[in-house]
Amino acid sequence: MKKPPKIRAPSHGKMKEQTVAVPLLSYAPYDSPLIDALMDGESIHQLMVDSRGDYAIFMLDPNGIVASWNKGAEQINGYSRDEIVGKHFSVFYSAEDRARGKPERELVIAARDGRFEEEGQRVRSDGSEFWANVVISAVRDRADTLVGFVKVARDLTEHRKQQERALADAQALKAVNAELESFTYSVSHDLRAPIRQIEGFAKILEEHLGVDLDPQVEHYLHRIQEGSKQMGRLVDDLLHLAQLGRQHAKPRVTPLDALVDEVLTDLRAEILERAIEVRVGALPALECDPGLLKVVFTNLLSNAVKYTRRCEHPLIEIGQIVTDGIPVIYVRDNGIGFDMKYVDKLFGVFQRLHRTEDFEGAGVGLAIVSRIIRKHRGTIWAEALPDMGATFFFTLGTEGQDAATKSA
Amino acid sequence: MNKTPIQMLLAEDSASDADLILASLANITLAEAIHVVHDGVETLDFVFSRGEYAHRLHEPPLRVIVLDVKLPKLDGFEVLREIKANSRTRLIPVVLLTSSNIDIDVARGYLLGANSYVQKPVDFEQFRATIRELGLYWMTMNEPPPRRSVGDHARR
Repeated sequence: MKKPPKIRAPSHGKMKEQTVAVPLLSYAPYDSPLIDALMDGESIHQLMVDSRGDYAIFMLDPNGIVASWNKGAEQINGYSRDEIVGKHFSVFYSAEDRARGKPERELVIAARDGRFEEEGQRVRSDGSEFWANVVISAVRDRADTLVGFVKVARDLTEHRKQQERALADAQALKAVNAELESFTYSVSHDLRAPIRQIEGFAKILEEHLGVDLDPQVEHYLHRIQEGSKQMGRLVDDLLHLAQLGRQHAKPRVTPLDALVDEVLTDLRAEILERAIEVRVGALPALECDPGLLKVVFTNLLSNAVKYTRRCEHPLIEIGQIVTDGIPVIYVRDNGIGFDMKYVDKLFGVFQRLHRTEDFEGAGVGLAIVSRIIRKHRGTIWAEALPDMGATFFFTLGTEGQDAATKSA
Repeated sequence: MNKTPIQMLLAEDSASDADLILASLANITLAEAIHVVHDGVETLDFVFSRGEYAHRLHEPPLRVIVLDVKLPKLDGFEVLREIKANSRTRLIPVVLLTSSNIDIDVARGYLLGANSYVQKPVDFEQFRATIRELGLYWMTMNEPPPRRSVGDHARR
């Protein structure tokens, strides 16, 4: 014997299925074979209705004539029970859908497969359209004869609006970000000229005044030049940061040890001069943009070189630790370190944890590093103690499945 | 007849940058050999001896035009296009000066027929050195197109 149809409220998203007894009988004509079928089996217990009334649950006879109507249906479709019972259910569809025979087709599919489900446009009694999730289930009696359909519909208008709002929010955020990047870019771009002018005129003025220059005046002129130079570096760094935002990562499998070698070569003058001990451990080849990762190592290693300046025996270590199969790359130094209570500020733009007089810099380097790591869907963090050195750790491609390939 | 002919046209809307460029070129050429114009329209007026520069019609040709890309009214690219589209002026070397290194600008400059593309360095010492080299090259080393051939070329 065929099992009675299982009828359940459709679930979507995180909605929990809800099981509520249906007061169907009170709405249905008593002599309907549909009622017989329902009375007959356990199926009535399996019918569910949403107690809050946001599910329309009603029955159709085999020809699609509405046979019962619940409160939810009244709320969603707008018809009262008296208005709708006895009418063909195609009134819930748009004129075009009706012309294309959509309502009838859905019944054919439900009769054939036992069930039809879709999300689509439906029409209320006042002609307004709404977005609905619809399930039509065929109801058969013991002899397997089709006695009608149970139709469960949920109004998704609000749900859809929320989705649209979320999408609009995401797009707005993207636009704001793009605008911010282009703003940063043009600001840093346009700042270059006046900085050069200040520096240039101070220089020319100094040259014009010649050797008899009052030492105090000379000192001030130097201050002007120093200030504008510092500002120039800052603008360059900002420009670099803004360009990173516009740049797409072009990942390919890259041996990190080659990158580290290149960077160490760039830094070799200071490394040799200060007899800094550099230990490079085994490094993996990872999927990354080699140009961008070189910027990461340049910043991390320059920092290590810079912040070990007061060390008697400066030591820099580069290596990897494999945790849960994920390579974690680290750059460690035994320099002045920092207090972990400032760790949150570490990767922010213009955040500096040391005085410019002690250690030069604009506070952009680690912001650039962090942005590049994020572009590679990786993570970066640091551990440090004041005067005990700092270690920077990063991973690549650990957030999400598709690693750097989709980064923007 | 002792008058120094104008050899370099400098199109630069920033008075400060123009001053710095002139100061950078001080040891290379006489100040009178350089004329400064401040926007794209004035640049074309000078080049084509029009308007306030109508009297220049029979002056010797320029050795070089140094064109800032960001000019008011008509930008450097538009000015460049007009210079290169005219048979009387298209052989005059044009150096584009810019504070940007956006690739697309560089490509556009060359496509429009720029002879050189120079980015103004941010650092003044580098800026001065760059301008000095630029001046040395175009004002002294480079052989300018002969006067006659400009017209000859046009008749072909």
